[in-house]
Amino acid sequence: MPVFKLLSSLRLTVTLLVLAMLLIFVATLSQVHLGIHEVQLLYFRSWIAWWDVIPGEKTFSLPLPGGTLLGILLITNILAAHGARFQLRWSKAGMIVIHSGILIMLLGEILTGFLGKEAQMPIDEGQTVNYSLFPREVELVVVVPDGVGAETVTAIPQGRLEDGAEFPMAGFTLKIHKFYRNSEIVPEEKATPEFEKVRATEGVGKRYAVRRKGRETKMDRRDLSTAYVEIIPDGEKSQGRWLLSNAFKGEEKYEAAGKTWKMSIRQRRLYHPFSIKLLDFSHDRYLGTNVPKNFSSKIRIINSETGEDREDLIYMNHPLRYSGLTFYQSGFDNNDSTSIFQVVRNPVWTLPYISCAMVGLGLLWVFSQHLIKAVSRRNKVTAS
Amino acid sequence: MSNPSRKFLAWLIPALCLLFVASAVFRALNSEKGYHFKEFAALPVVSNGRVQPLDSLARNALLAIVGKQRVPGDDTLGSPAEWLAELCFRPEIADERKIFLIHHDEILGLTGLTRSEEKTYSYSQILPSFQAIQPEARRIGAKEPQTRTPYEKALMRLTRNLGIYNQLKHALAHPGQEDAEAEFESFLSNSSAVSGLQNWASFTEVYAVPSGKGADGWRKLPDSVIDAIQAGEIHPASLAYARIGDAYRSSDPVAFNKSVAAYGTWLHGNRSVQLSKSSSEAVFNRVAPFYLCMVLYVVTFLCAIISWLWQGSIFRQAAFRTLLIGLALHTAGLIIRMLLEGRPPVTNLYSSAVFIGWGTIVLSIALELFYRNAIGTAVAAMVGFGTLLIAHHLSLSGDTLEMMRAVLDTNFWLATHVVVITLGYSANFLAGFIAIFYLMFRLFGSIPKPTANSLRGMVYGVICFATLFSFVGTVLGGIWADQSWGRFWGWDPKENGALLIVIWNAIILHARWGGMVKERGMMVMAVFGNIVTSWSWFGTNMLGIGLHSYGFTDAAFVWLSGFVISQLIIMGLGYIPRKAVA
Repeated sequence: MPVFKLLSSLRLTVTLLVLAMLLIFVATLSQVHLGIHEVQLLYFRSWIAWWDVIPGEKTFSLPLPGGTLLGILLITNILAAHGARFQLRWSKAGMIVIHSGILIMLLGEILTGFLGKEAQMPIDEGQTVNYSLFPREVELVVVVPDGVGAETVTAIPQGRLEDGAEFPMAGFTLKIHKFYRNSEIVPEEKATPEFEKVRATEGVGKRYAVRRKGRETKMDRRDLSTAYVEIIPDGEKSQGRWLLSNAFKGEEKYEAAGKTWKMSIRQRRLYHPFSIKLLDFSHDRYLGTNVPKNFSSKIRIINSETGEDREDLIYMNHPLRYSGLTFYQSGFDNNDSTSIFQVVRNPVWTLPYISCAMVGLGLLWVFSQHLIKAVSRRNKVTAS
Repeated sequence: MSNPSRKFLAWLIPALCLLFVASAVFRALNSEKGYHFKEFAALPVVSNGRVQPLDSLARNALLAIVGKQRVPGDDTLGSPAEWLAELCFRPEIADERKIFLIHHDEILGLTGLTRSEEKTYSYSQILPSFQAIQPEARRIGAKEPQTRTPYEKALMRLTRNLGIYNQLKHALAHPGQEDAEAEFESFLSNSSAVSGLQNWASFTEVYAVPSGKGADGWRKLPDSVIDAIQAGEIHPASLAYARIGDAYRSSDPVAFNKSVAAYGTWLHGNRSVQLSKSSSEAVFNRVAPFYLCMVLYVVTFLCAIISWLWQGSIFRQAAFRTLLIGLALHTAGLIIRMLLEGRPPVTNLYSSAVFIGWGTIVLSIALELFYRNAIGTAVAAMVGFGTLLIAHHLSLSGDTLEMMRAVLDTNFWLATHVVVITLGYSANFLAGFIAIFYLMFRLFGSIPKPTANSLRGMVYGVICFATLFSFVGTVLGGIWADQSWGRFWGWDPKENGALLIVIWNAIILHARWGGMVKERGMMVMAVFGNIVTSWSWFGTNMLGIGLHSYGFTDAAFVWLSGFVISQLIIMGLGYIPRKAVA
């Protein structure tokens, strides 16, 4: 079969690897303008990657096979090649082990893309927190007390926040007047003509002006998502316009249907079935420099389901693995009184370890065979 | 030539080299007449977050300011420590030395200096224009480093160098000091001296006085004098520096030597570990083993070349033995650095250069023992020299034994991931440079079949080795990332660079196995491996993004581009048909 022959050929292997090099190189260059996160989505987690030849201007783009496509083709190629030439012999064992290891690694990377989650947990000293935040995603929440001491939270995900969208609630409608995925917010008196003319009529945002901005590309900064929203009680006219943003702390309050409601835009939350309390954060620097010597966070894990209540220490290169999540010391804020953890769920985290061991041992096996052959060949030449 | 005389010749060159090394070590250890600056140079202080001898403090400052380890101009100053003594205790003389390089017209305009032949200016020449420089430096400092113009970069460099200069000037004394011992004594009964001392302390980040306990148990000299006002007693170290300075100011070598020796004795009793560490580092600086290695590698390379033209086996052996001396010294240098730092061999870009050279030489020696054709030796000498030259240029950017940032502070991963991946770089460069030899031989004459076979075997074998090390090193890096940051692979530029090397090695092997390339094609591909490796090593750092971007220099960009172009030319030459060559 010509198709099978093509799929199992070494020529295809070399072609795919060359394309992979090209993709990786171009993606590395694009990171300067797009940032690592966007590049991952556009180049590596895609079928076709469009490369902007002149960075920043979308004038001239070239298509390249994306990471997902190349990964699947490489897996097919390896399977086909080994299927076509499979022999159960010791001399072939090394190659089989190596390529099985590579298959595991490619699968691991693809699965991580689908199953992995990455969030952050900023936590002040003394504070107890039971959720993590997604740094690149926001949600609009509407909160109402339910009368028995608890609160009902309605969260609208970022994907549904569009200009003109309306969300009917119990007794009123929340209307998104305008939504900015990333924006710049300045006090009214500093606004230049590029800023929007529209202003809020209620709340803390009244004296501010907003303008749209491109997405944030720096790793250590997040988008400032902003929306003008209107509250329209059923059968009445609008109560006014509020400016909501994750740049503001706290919530906006309003009255509707006889209750006091609160609303805000905040980072999307991932709730955990346990809480973490930050007991102490320490950050040492080398004498006379700003070079960090050590970061560490002393925490208490409180889990009412299992009855756990214990202390632990998270520090550089020593994460906490708990309940399928891993907490890493990733940063600090507020004059060293806030610790920031990277919170990661990756159910396939063991695959790279297995793969590394397999490929490493396989390569060692194959190359030792080469070496032994070369030595015996030379000894023959010298002997003759 | 008779057999004994051949043997003698094959030993003569290595013996001379050994003598050269021995004399350099002897000179470094030998004590001097007049001022005992070597003992002064060994005294420990804390700067840049670590205990180091005054020698390193002075050397690194000179490297940053002048780009050399000695003061330019008349040769009255023998060592960096001597310059430091002058700078601290006789600043009025040091301020007249023309050590600041200014060649940018806009800076000359800003400072109102007139263009001079040698383009260097003294501190006292620049001093009047501080008013003009400072606001400019503040303005530029607020800009992102990547967006700075050449003038702005030059001005920032000048500002940084003036800062370093001032730091050192205030480390052990303050300008205008006359009789330091009497001055300190008078402060004891005068608590109004504190504000002056605090002002002095604000000028320096050098912690000269071992006072207190633990790693941070060091005080700046002026702070220690403030402590003395409260305690009613001057710290022995403060008193020692006062006496050393007073002796230097009154040109009294006997008193100078006596005070240095007395302080040494005190340190021996109270801070013996730190004293022995700083003295070792001072000796290490003076011996400069990597500089000696560079000389040996040049000799090795010349001997190897001669061996192909005349008296093959004599010069091949001489080259190999000289290389072994170089390797011994190179290894000793690496080990001493490891002991001083308490770390595995590769901790920053500088040490990666030193280690790549070392790795290449070790691998080449294995090749040479196997093939005995001096090609391994020649390539080892060339790569060894080249990487040490790169290391020298990297050392201009500051302290090469700097402390590790918290995120990198793990000896386990430094010893595994970093060492393995750096050996992968070594192997790739080795394969690439052997391939260059192949292509050059081919260009300048036909290659005999046995030589071609052995070159092919060498390149193939080394690429196999490179594949193993690059792969394992890259994946170990992923595992470290999984341990430290919670993701195995983040497509960070340095990770991508490492992956490119692995993929390129895999491409060469598959192309060879599939018969897509023959001998020459594999050689050309191996040369391209040099480009891929240098991109991973240096190019990715120049993008200024990602977790690994720890060293950016403009000059490096020019050199990297030059290297890439040279490799492309060599690859092109490989495709000139044999007939046209003949």
